[in-house]
Amino acid sequence: MRKRSWKRLTAAVLASVMALSLAACGGGGSGETQAAAEGETQAAGDTGAADSGEAASGDQITISFMHRFPDEPYNSFINAKLAEYEEMHPEIKFDINATANQEYKEKIKVVMGGNEKPDIFFSWVGDFTERFIRENLVLDLTPYLEEDPEWKDSLIESQIAQYTTDDGMVYGIPFRLDCKLFFYNTRIFEENGLEAPTTWDELMDVCEKLKAAGITPISFGNQETWSASHYIGTLNQIFVPDDVRAKDYDPTSGEFTDPGYVEALEYYQALLPYMTENPNGVQPDMGRTMFTMEQSAMYFAELIEIPYMQADNPNLEYGMFKFPEVEGAPGNQEILTGAPEGFVICSETEHPEECVEFLKWFLGPEVGKEQIQEIGWFNAAKGTTDGVTDQALLDGYDTIMNATAMGPWLDNALYSTVCDEYLTAVSDLTNGDVTPEEAMARIQAKAKEAQTLVATGATEEE
Amino acid sequence: MKTKKRTPYFYMLPGVLMVLLFVYIPVLTNIVYSFFRLSSYSAGQTFVGLDNYRRFFTDPVFPIMLKNNILYCVISLIVQVGFGTFLALVLDSTLIKGKAKNFFRNLYYMPALISLTAVGLMFTFIYEPNIGFLNKVLEIFGLEGHSWLGDSKLAIFSIIAMSQWQFTGYITLLMVVAFQNVSQDYIEAAKIDGAGPVKRALTIMLPLAKEQLLVCTIITVIGAFKLYTEVYATTSGGPGNSSQVLGVFLYQQAFLHDDLGMAAVTGVFIFVVTVALSILQIRITRSGEI
Repeated sequence: MRKRSWKRLTAAVLASVMALSLAACGGGGSGETQAAAEGETQAAGDTGAADSGEAASGDQITISFMHRFPDEPYNSFINAKLAEYEEMHPEIKFDINATANQEYKEKIKVVMGGNEKPDIFFSWVGDFTERFIRENLVLDLTPYLEEDPEWKDSLIESQIAQYTTDDGMVYGIPFRLDCKLFFYNTRIFEENGLEAPTTWDELMDVCEKLKAAGITPISFGNQETWSASHYIGTLNQIFVPDDVRAKDYDPTSGEFTDPGYVEALEYYQALLPYMTENPNGVQPDMGRTMFTMEQSAMYFAELIEIPYMQADNPNLEYGMFKFPEVEGAPGNQEILTGAPEGFVICSETEHPEECVEFLKWFLGPEVGKEQIQEIGWFNAAKGTTDGVTDQALLDGYDTIMNATAMGPWLDNALYSTVCDEYLTAVSDLTNGDVTPEEAMARIQAKAKEAQTLVATGATEEE
Repeated sequence: MKTKKRTPYFYMLPGVLMVLLFVYIPVLTNIVYSFFRLSSYSAGQTFVGLDNYRRFFTDPVFPIMLKNNILYCVISLIVQVGFGTFLALVLDSTLIKGKAKNFFRNLYYMPALISLTAVGLMFTFIYEPNIGFLNKVLEIFGLEGHSWLGDSKLAIFSIIAMSQWQFTGYITLLMVVAFQNVSQDYIEAAKIDGAGPVKRALTIMLPLAKEQLLVCTIITVIGAFKLYTEVYATTSGGPGNSSQVLGVFLYQQAFLHDDLGMAAVTGVFIFVVTVALSILQIRITRSGEI
């Protein structure tokens, strides 16, 4: 009997161990085939000169390409462009891998730690890519841009500046431009005799009137917590001076003790009575859907959301205005919140030249023109607006072009643990579970911990 | 004779190697990792001793996670195992006959066949406060709706409720099979002795299906502590940290915060808890004895 119970015990222990290890099994890639193929092509290249018939396939290069747009029509557009490039360059073959936004953020980190790093991959500006730069995993594009002034001149400088480190290293080329603007329903505004607000007080006034008329002033969903970060990021820019913010966003020196941060949260709180009820229970894109279905009067949207809105309701009449100014606020009100998104090249690629050549075309004016027409996204090449008739798109484009400064997304700018605490605290604040002061106290504690985490991280690299 | 003694071990070898390679070695390396600070893409790692453990146990999220996992565990034991077994007894009894038996068994089991992510997505729609199914139904009855996943106090219970809906039928199916294996002789004998359906269930059916019941509780308890997809697909731990659980925390540490050391500590903690609870259960039920 004793023996049997031991057997059972071991079995149970084993079972739980197994269950646990199954849970721990995450991503993992299946890129071996590609490596094998590369090995083969190399072998063929060495010996294949003799039979000229096979030469073309012998010189074939495979470029692995990872992006985060598996949804339509974006995925098809990218696939079509890549296929087009393959046709123009028979020696190049793409190995495409598309993963949805949230999963992509995690997947790319795992892939970059393995042996099957992609040659070209999508990456956000700011700390998201800079973490890879710290590990020397990203190709410096500066020399390539210097070498080809024509290419450099064809790109919008202010947008390339976003993909540049403080040391002047250009590490990525934008695929789509973006910024955050308030969108408003012109029909609802007209019916209620309202005008687009330019100051905070006017915004409050408009909200009050809309609410009195029984209309949800601003639709907002914060079930995914990054959504609120667009408000907070903008408000931080308004209430915290540039130099203080720069110091706090840097994980090695972040403290978040400036009273402006609390004020920013208080202004966010002031908006809540005018937003969708229980935003923490609403998906962010539900907020957009409510706006496009004319169930709310305003929505704080990204420029790149225009195509989605038009797909939902082509008859929607809307205008845009910048985040209203707060009189006398100590921060920088000129900053337009938003950053371009684009592609970077892995420093360990075997074909840097080919990858750069491809990006010149893929993110250049020629494809850019088709891109805006077909999927409604601008890339960073100059002169892509020819033939664009959509006024909303053109207005958005002008806003970006005229911005004197752009501010990164808060969730890309912050160190991940600080960011997580920030978003979690704001989520609690949204539910009314904590006060702005309590929220900032939590963030300050995390920022302090992050300083030591970054410090231990730094010693490891030496 | 000698060769015969050795032969079985050769047959066992591949299995043992697999288990070593995929189970024991990862568990051990995981324990080693828990003393380091490292990320998935950086080459270096720093030895930090017990610092990861200190950070884990002093994290204000830790008690919340523990509470949520225990809540999930207790409620699942009551509803899934308790009510599930009750359903199984009803299905096995004479109350329901012939084809209806199969029909209900399959009906209850159906939700368990749907992928966890799909169920999570479906329930985010059902729980949606403005246009969600649940609030609309409540409206019909004149009841007040809630922001089920958006309310810090309700979120974890909403997720737990979703899991109960999905997995009670699974336990029911397992228990029905166990009850069917109970020899009719005992039941007939009890009937002749005058035992009613309740008494038969308590004194014959349940004791004889004890082993299966144990398996069900172990599955449920372990499932409760490695809970992941249900939370990840609905709230990702929010609002705030109100529905955070160990599994999601582990994942976020590893792949969001590049802190594999912290993730490893979480893994070790889950491992210790599940093993301890399994041993406890086996001891209490004195498995293997009749």
